[in-house]
Amino acid sequence: MSAAKRTAELTNFQFSLLLALPVLVFLVLVVAYPLGYALWMSLHEISFFGGYKATFVGAENFSDVIDDRKFKKSLWITVRFTLESVALAMVAGLLIALVLNRKFRFAGLVRTIVILPWCISLYGTGIIFSYMAKGQTGIGTAIAYAFGIEEAVNVVNRDWVIEVLAVGNAWNMAPLVAFFLLANLKTIPSRLYDLAAIDRMSRLETFLNVTLPPLRFTIFVFTCITTVLSMKLFDFIFVLSGGGPGTASATLTYRIYKESFKDLDLGYGAAMSFMLLALILGTTLLLYFLWGRREAKST
Amino acid sequence: MRFRLSSIWSWLALAVVLIWTLLPIYWFMKNSLLTPAEIARFPPPLYPMEPTPAAFFNIFGFEYEMADGLVRRGSGQANQIIRGFYNSLIVSAVVTLVTLVVVLPLAYVFARLDFPHKNKLLFAILLAVALPPVSTLIPFYAMYVQLGLSGTLIGLIIVTLTITIPFVTWMLIGYFRNLPEVERLARIDGFSRFETFLKIIVPLGRSGVAVAAVIAFLFSWNEYTYALFLVNGTTANTLPTAVSGFLFQHPEASHLAAAVMLTMVPPALVAFFLQRHIAEMNLVDPVR
Repeated sequence: MSAAKRTAELTNFQFSLLLALPVLVFLVLVVAYPLGYALWMSLHEISFFGGYKATFVGAENFSDVIDDRKFKKSLWITVRFTLESVALAMVAGLLIALVLNRKFRFAGLVRTIVILPWCISLYGTGIIFSYMAKGQTGIGTAIAYAFGIEEAVNVVNRDWVIEVLAVGNAWNMAPLVAFFLLANLKTIPSRLYDLAAIDRMSRLETFLNVTLPPLRFTIFVFTCITTVLSMKLFDFIFVLSGGGPGTASATLTYRIYKESFKDLDLGYGAAMSFMLLALILGTTLLLYFLWGRREAKST
Repeated sequence: MRFRLSSIWSWLALAVVLIWTLLPIYWFMKNSLLTPAEIARFPPPLYPMEPTPAAFFNIFGFEYEMADGLVRRGSGQANQIIRGFYNSLIVSAVVTLVTLVVVLPLAYVFARLDFPHKNKLLFAILLAVALPPVSTLIPFYAMYVQLGLSGTLIGLIIVTLTITIPFVTWMLIGYFRNLPEVERLARIDGFSRFETFLKIIVPLGRSGVAVAAVIAFLFSWNEYTYALFLVNGTTANTLPTAVSGFLFQHPEASHLAAAVMLTMVPPALVAFFLQRHIAEMNLVDPVR
């Protein structure tokens, strides 16, 4: 190596700054601006009737949100929806990745088919699952009639609507998880499987000791990603159930939409946005400290 | 894994995966081939008795004469569908390109290098990922009205980048971490840092790069919430907003299904070419 090249070397910090700084500036601008604006709104009572008026009310919007029973109900709906979505998406994603990692005929075709749900937009998924699950057009009704039970099967009801939403959401996200896990699976050297065979490991042991360890960090990252995506999901719920029946599927995002755009209570909606943001960040950080930090060290 | 799909369990797993994927798509898409009478029928038919492609002509504004002489008229939404398709292609292509250029170095830096304040900067990215679109809509709308960006493609591109850049970065970090430790070897061979990144890391991680491209493309192609509020009803409307016109104004199931199918075509093509790329590459032991 020539001496000239050595002096031209950058330190990690300089190199990182060079690559990352422009993006970070852009991000700060596009993140700080809406956040600041929302903060301003959340501290004001904004009314449109009888002319636009913004009155400073301090933290009143926040204390109102905390006392709101509808907010607590929506919080619970969001948590339940997220837990179910994430668990289902991760299991389905892992299964799909393992199936795709095998060598078999038509593997390319199967890969193309399997990625299709991720090609369908969330509003499209909402339409598809509303047709699947509602009594008038649903697959349950068609099957019931095929077996001679003359009754409409509607699962978009108070008890099951959240599960319908979670299945649809997981269906949409699973290919994303699967393709990243697949890319990771392909980095596992095949001679490790030969060694596992020499050690006479069972399939389960091979899976736990050879396949799973390099996936663990990706699994952690995608648990976080699917959590965040589920918590901030709006268009899918808007199209599928519209927060209903009643308010049975009114997640926090739906509640924010309703407060801000239907009831035009912008300050209240903005205050609720910060609660949601706190929930998303809190959950992600919790996941990191309980799980991700350990994975980051072990890889 | 080297062994072939042989056991019954593997086939079963494959069958489950295919049914899970295809059943919802089939159940909805069959609507595109149904006649109006079949759509209105109860219980819903399991498959189209007299499949007709009329809806695919109708959504582009063409009439279609059925076998019994009945004419199904073109949809009034046709112009918006065609323009939306065109606009969506432009937005998605630009967003994908910019996202890749920006995100690859960023994700690499966060995944492979240690530098001061790394965790704080990572947190800033996480914050950008965590912002829900319903919360940032009003601020963006207010800003766009002032800057004259509402109802323009460039405005939609900027707002879409605020979703794709942090998101794809966050996802790629995990991928880059798993690449083999080649930096030291590259330096011994006299590569500078930029050369290491461009000539070794990017080609080595092309599977991740490909997936990142697909994700950026799909996010922008399918973005609905911002488009609904920022460009809907203008000449910059995108395909999702045009399709949702069927949903709320003119609920004809066959047109809706045909239009949703149309939205799937470009992403499916992109996914098809890139999944082959992933399948054909061989990342195993590149440093041996």
